[in-house]
Amino acid sequence: MNRTGVIFAAEFARRMRSRPFLIGTALGAFSIVVTTLLPFVLSGLPNGRPGVVLVGEPALTSAVQALIANDYATVDRRTHLDGTPNLAFLRAEHDAADAIVIERDGAGIRAQVYAREPAGFGLTFGRDVAPLQAALATGIPVADIKRHVTVPVTVHDAGGRFASVTSARAAKGVAFLSIILLYVAILINAQVIMSSVAEEKTSRIAELLVATVEPAQLLTAKVLASGAGGLFQLLVWVLVGAVSSRTVVALLPHVQALAHPGTVNAISIPPSEIVAFFAFFLVGFAQYSVLYAAAASLINRTEDLGAVAGPVLIPVLAGFLVAEFAVAYPANPWIVACSQIPLLSPFVMFSRIATSDVPAWQIGTSLAINVAAAVGFAFLAGRIYRVGLLLYGRSPTLRQVLRALRT
Amino acid sequence: MQSLVLSHVARSFGSTAAVRDISFTVPAGATFGLLGPNGAGKTTTMRMIFGIIVPDHGEITWDGGPIDAAVRMRFGYLPEERGLYGGMRVRDQVAYFGRLHGLAHPDDRTATERWLDRLGLAWAANLHCSELSKGNQQKVQFACAVVHAPELVVLDEPFSGLDPANADVILNALRELAHEGVTLILSTHQLWQIQELCDTFCIIAGGVVKTSGTLRELRTSWPVRRIEVEPAVPALRAALDEFPGLLASPAAANSGATNALAYDVPAGTDVAHILRQLVAAGDVTRFEQIEPSLQEIYARATGAPA
Repeated sequence: MNRTGVIFAAEFARRMRSRPFLIGTALGAFSIVVTTLLPFVLSGLPNGRPGVVLVGEPALTSAVQALIANDYATVDRRTHLDGTPNLAFLRAEHDAADAIVIERDGAGIRAQVYAREPAGFGLTFGRDVAPLQAALATGIPVADIKRHVTVPVTVHDAGGRFASVTSARAAKGVAFLSIILLYVAILINAQVIMSSVAEEKTSRIAELLVATVEPAQLLTAKVLASGAGGLFQLLVWVLVGAVSSRTVVALLPHVQALAHPGTVNAISIPPSEIVAFFAFFLVGFAQYSVLYAAAASLINRTEDLGAVAGPVLIPVLAGFLVAEFAVAYPANPWIVACSQIPLLSPFVMFSRIATSDVPAWQIGTSLAINVAAAVGFAFLAGRIYRVGLLLYGRSPTLRQVLRALRT
Repeated sequence: MQSLVLSHVARSFGSTAAVRDISFTVPAGATFGLLGPNGAGKTTTMRMIFGIIVPDHGEITWDGGPIDAAVRMRFGYLPEERGLYGGMRVRDQVAYFGRLHGLAHPDDRTATERWLDRLGLAWAANLHCSELSKGNQQKVQFACAVVHAPELVVLDEPFSGLDPANADVILNALRELAHEGVTLILSTHQLWQIQELCDTFCIIAGGVVKTSGTLRELRTSWPVRRIEVEPAVPALRAALDEFPGLLASPAAANSGATNALAYDVPAGTDVAHILRQLVAAGDVTRFEQIEPSLQEIYARATGAPA
């Protein structure tokens, strides 16, 4: 085994045993299980719909109750109130979320809502009771109006990529989850790689190592070990996610009912998307790893890690935020531009790929730019790393860092 | 013949010249003492041998060729700044450095066990390095430097921080390595510990070589010899004072011989003639020509107090 391999093996073994890695992997897996289970569990709860008290003429409240049944659970109907409804009233009424007073208004009706959380009151209420308004104005039965105001709508993907809206939504969900995974993995990796370099620097092992191996070799082995650790972590999370989602489908009857063939197909991910994810994951990992390693080589005390990590954290956060927008607006020109910028594009390009049809040339140029940037970062970081590793007692000045980059 | 040669090596850091002009040769199998005060340029010189720092000028060769990564695999280094992976077990740590220097499995394990046993650390093989005392950590560090049976070992202050017992363990290990033909370069301030061990010395100060050679050569080139004469009586003192060039030795105060007359004699003086004159002047119970110690040579070369 060559020396890069020896260092890689040792670094990888140390990473697998390091506390931040173990805790991060376990917490990530736990979050995935919770993320997978929670929506299904919550959707199965009997009180999933907000409870409301309807107040008004019995004929009106009865009709409203029928119309809003899909979105609201009517806990009580009253003909009148003894005062303005307040929180005590709502608590007394089976802990209802809202009291809705239905009043006649000319030929129609209007609603006064006394909400426990006004900002959270659903706009669906007005849409639900609209047929009653029309029925009162026209004399046509509510059932007829309801039947005639509903237009069946089927959405098709013009690009032919998604079979249904459900499928497209699932892709957005996968993209969102993948961005979070990449973000968390990079942050955990940053912690691990910086601790590793800082340990070698502060415990003075660095001098012994660079007497034996080239700093570039040391850095390469560290980054490779970091990438391998990150991939391993990712695979654990993907496996946990797959197992937990299948467990949900198998164990919860109401989820089984939801999991018709269309839904199951929607969750399946095209192989090209998986390849793209791993490609951008690795290239992003490599870029951030060399930068974090170089940053850590500049410190003399582990307490200073936060100070040097800060600047490198900015592009991570920026990439994460831009990627959130990319999920919603994958074709926006600014998003397209960001998907070509190193450090940002690992986040942004994958979001675009997962949610839209990105031209192959854009994927190609983005990958090429990112690989070139990773090599460039490694070259520059190697120089900083070489200078930083052997500077003890004080942090190098900006001038020293710039001189190291030039020589 | 594998020898290390430094030719007019220089290195500056900004406006500070750490090494101005250093040249010396370490023959294969030699035990070479690189001596000098703090800031003399010893550590910089050692780092340049390992390519950690690149010289601004001059050349460093091993066996007539440049020192590249393949050559460095056959070197061992114990730097002044010690460091170990605190969370790694002693056995794993030594084996790791063995593998870094090209030892394959299971040779890495075999060599590790042999060195841990040799240094009295077999009991600590499964402990984490952070659990060991400073002295034992230093022995682990030493094992890391020599586990791969290097041709050249460079040791920067190998005895610092060691108690006498552990210093003896390292000293004995160095003697064994020297006996096995390993080329050793040592830097230390404990001159008494390496005076017997090293066969060649190089004293540097201010980034330049002040003097170098075997102890015999250094003594031969010493400008004065010290003689001690007993008893310290006026007749003998008067006889000594009559000789031109003889001066009462300032080292006499340190010799402990309170009943002796101590004089510095210029090199090349016919000492036998002095003895004959003294015998003619009175009863001489002891006449001894004392060779300068390494400490005295060092002090004179570096300008430090003896």
